[in-house]
Amino acid sequence: MRILPISILLLLAFGCASYPEKEGFTPLDTTGTNLRNPYFSDASKDYVYEADIKAFDKSFSGIAIIKKLGDVHHRVVFTTKMGNTLFDFSFQGDALKVNRILKDLNRKILVNILHRDFKALITEHPPVTKTFLKANDTLWETRILSKKHYFYASKGQLRKIVRSKGGKEKVILTFSGIRDGKADEITIDHRSIPLNIRLSSL
Amino acid sequence: MNNSVGSISDSRFRLFEGLLLFIGLVFSTLLSAQTEMSSEDANILRTKVKQQAETVSTITSDFTQYKHLDFLADDIESSGKLAFMEPDLVKWEYVEPFSYAILFKDQTLYINDAGNKSNLDVGGNKIFEQLNRLIASSIRGDMFDDDNFNIEYFKKDGADLVHFEPKDARFAEFIKAFELTFDASGQVTEVKMIEPSDDYTHIVFSNRKTNQRLSDADFAH
Repeated sequence: MRILPISILLLLAFGCASYPEKEGFTPLDTTGTNLRNPYFSDASKDYVYEADIKAFDKSFSGIAIIKKLGDVHHRVVFTTKMGNTLFDFSFQGDALKVNRILKDLNRKILVNILHRDFKALITEHPPVTKTFLKANDTLWETRILSKKHYFYASKGQLRKIVRSKGGKEKVILTFSGIRDGKADEITIDHRSIPLNIRLSSL
Repeated sequence: MNNSVGSISDSRFRLFEGLLLFIGLVFSTLLSAQTEMSSEDANILRTKVKQQAETVSTITSDFTQYKHLDFLADDIESSGKLAFMEPDLVKWEYVEPFSYAILFKDQTLYINDAGNKSNLDVGGNKIFEQLNRLIASSIRGDMFDDDNFNIEYFKKDGADLVHFEPKDARFAEFIKAFELTFDASGQVTEVKMIEPSDDYTHIVFSNRKTNQRLSDADFAH
């Protein structure tokens, strides 16, 4: 009989553990912390990627184009390989302006997903609410579009962004092949829906 | 005195400046002007292109594609090759910087995405039928279809340029207009597809060969 309350207690303790605690990070003083995502921060660069999208049982490939146009202003465009625009978004602060989207893709749920995913991808200076440390790795807790996001850096290099809910990973963005402040390979993996986006630099 | 000498040289200078400006204007007009063709010239072009297209049974060509988006510093460039066999067999293949091929064959759209093969039955899909017909006929050039397009004819940089605007609203959602450029022999040298946003895809053909023997292997998926 005594085991039951203990296990409930344990379950509650682990069940409610924050994402950093689950990952074995310890909190750090956040004062003066400056977090920067450098991968879409150069306004003189055109960021052009080959995009592979797997959604439910469909797969699709095209071109993803990202351009910084101002401090908190980015343009994100997806086209087919033949050049036809599928959607064209402007990100200005937290607002999304849909410049163009094909009728077939113009679903509120899809636009919201793309808004959240790409807002997390391009935000250069996310506001830090907490900082955590584990050996050479740093974890910053931030809020993007009022959702908790964790920015994960290894040896000073941003490697991963995790959107979490209730301590669980919802969406994971990874960066690899990093050179000259640019990530050659980017993945966006959704854990609660079968959606996966892979970007490879062209 | 000084003043009058000054005013003479000044007026000469102005004349010279004016002349330069005029020459510059004429020259730039000749270089880039797009002037509307007379209906007579337009008829001659239509006839020439149709006659030329009728003699063509196969085409192979290389192409370079420039995707222009107004906000980008540079156009996005890709290149590849195409093969066409009448009446409407088309293989459009990108080689650089990615490997991607589409093939229109028997009411089906076959896609080979870097080895990942898929196909789409587009039989009965009016948009795809139209797209296939558009690609096939734009490669040949023979697409002066007044029922489906508003067509305008221009002379530009010594070449013939024809501007097509689709009448079908569903089609216009993808392509607002496109332009074909023809050389003196009536062959298509460039295609420009203009999107509703005025961004465009510009395709320039090179190394074009007609009526070479092509086999099924050239249109393999």
